Amino acid sequence: MKIKKILSYTLLLSASFISIFPLFWTVSTSIKDRIDTYTLPPKFFNFTPTAKNYISLFSLDTFWGIYLNSIIITVGSTLLSLIFGSLAAYAFARKPRFRGRGALDGLMIAVRALPGIVLLLPIYKLSSYLGMYDSKIALILIYAGFNIPFAIWLLMSFFEQIPIEVEESARVDGASSYRMFSQIILPLAAPGLVATGIFVSLLSWNEFLIPVIMAGENAKPLPVLVASFISNRTLDWGPMAAAATVALIPIVVLTVVIQRWLVAGLSSGAVKE
Amino acid sequence: MTGPRTISKRKNLRPVAHFTIPTWILLAFTILIPFFYGIYISFQNINLASFLPPNFVGFDNYRTALAAPETWSTLRITLLITFFGLLFQIPLGIFLALALHENLRGTKMFRSILITPMLLTPVAVGLTYRFMFDTDLGVINWFLNILGIEKVNWLGSQTSALFAVIIVDSWQSVPFVMLLVLAALTAISPSLYEAARVDGANSSQIFRRLTLPLITPTLLVITMIKIMDFLKLFDTLFILTRGGPGNSTTTLGLWAYKTGFIFLELSRAAALGVLIALITMPVYLLWRKASRGVR
Repeated sequence: MKIKKILSYTLLLSASFISIFPLFWTVSTSIKDRIDTYTLPPKFFNFTPTAKNYISLFSLDTFWGIYLNSIIITVGSTLLSLIFGSLAAYAFARKPRFRGRGALDGLMIAVRALPGIVLLLPIYKLSSYLGMYDSKIALILIYAGFNIPFAIWLLMSFFEQIPIEVEESARVDGASSYRMFSQIILPLAAPGLVATGIFVSLLSWNEFLIPVIMAGENAKPLPVLVASFISNRTLDWGPMAAAATVALIPIVVLTVVIQRWLVAGLSSGAVKE
Repeated sequence: MTGPRTISKRKNLRPVAHFTIPTWILLAFTILIPFFYGIYISFQNINLASFLPPNFVGFDNYRTALAAPETWSTLRITLLITFFGLLFQIPLGIFLALALHENLRGTKMFRSILITPMLLTPVAVGLTYRFMFDTDLGVINWFLNILGIEKVNWLGSQTSALFAVIIVDSWQSVPFVMLLVLAALTAISPSLYEAARVDGANSSQIFRRLTLPLITPTLLVITMIKIMDFLKLFDTLFILTRGGPGNSTTTLGLWAYKTGFIFLELSRAAALGVLIALITMPVYLLWRKASRGVR
């Protein structure tokens, strides 16, 4: 028994170190001077922090616009997924069988299964016909379409926890489907909506394939900027790490907020019907 | 609240099927129409650099794709990454889940730390690893040097670049395996373990005869999902190696991207996309079948 305990602790501790180290290394590189970055042995703590890399990142003309794009696209697509998704999830949770349920299930699972590139090649061509290339609205719609299955799966589990008796008594009072949904169900499912919203916004915030194909200069979000540092001739790790840190910080903050629902969110759609 | 009264009231509830209409519309425009349009353009000869109106060319793009050595070599690389990735990630995920399942002190904290990697922006993760994998200044080679291992040109040589990709993907995917296995372990009734112990089984016997068979359905589901995710792999590859050196880490999906947006052969890329969808199909069906057993 004791050996098992020691082995478990060793495994967990070393895995935790490996999980955290790259994050620590990114942040630490972002506050290092060039000289401290390009040196061996690596400097873990013995350096003077500097804001240089952040100053040069923030002084890029395009930086704040790109940051704002990321926020607009994330918020827009999350709201859309939540509004459309909560309606659908409610139907799924309350009526196990209805016309088109099977088809919709299949479609949602297909989104999870199919590589994005398969859909984005035709979407790119279609959007250039419709003049929707490099448009934030188009990006919001595509993000929402790709993420809504997760929102539905997650919301469904929250709606299922609301006892049907609540609805039955409202029904006796003559409430319509919409009134019941908006005034009784949604408030009861508020924590679920928050958790789902945060989870879907993480997916949107991290998305790279959609914008790298569908965004030009106007709609470009943060991951595309972060990626563009690679193609520069001069590899300057400091500002790169600063850009990566700026992308990662909101995630770490949000993750702490939804700690309770994280596990449900991360495995949603994996094993459920 | 039992008996016929409840049932009749439930029947009274208005149908809410039309609540799914907005989702249908959204998915029609972002998934359904693009999918069929993709099949449509795969029979044309659209080149993004050409201004000529496209023609129908029948199965030409498919013939070209199946005849091109790149299709097969990138498929081989996809399979290699999938195989070694699974070989690495599934056992590691099981071990971590078992360790968490011991319910030692600090388990909650460990769990929170261990799932962090899967939430992080893959592009930023790729960037960080690119720096860590640097041959001369990277912290990974520095550490290996302490252990007496010679410098590895991680991203510059074919085999090691492939392993670098697998390592980074594993860093982000092992937590997923771990979480699903942990859920399966938690679902096993403790009385089964007690019974086994009463019968005098030791730890390794319990694991092989009891735990492993009970989590096998979950492991099958994980395997299917992971295969689909390896087919999807893009962000990390794009940042870490761009599919290089040469095409040595280019997967089928990345090859479709390159064909469409670097060589601008959109129709040819769409044909590759249809082929990828066909490869995904059996995995998808097996996944559905396997997940019915899990619930």
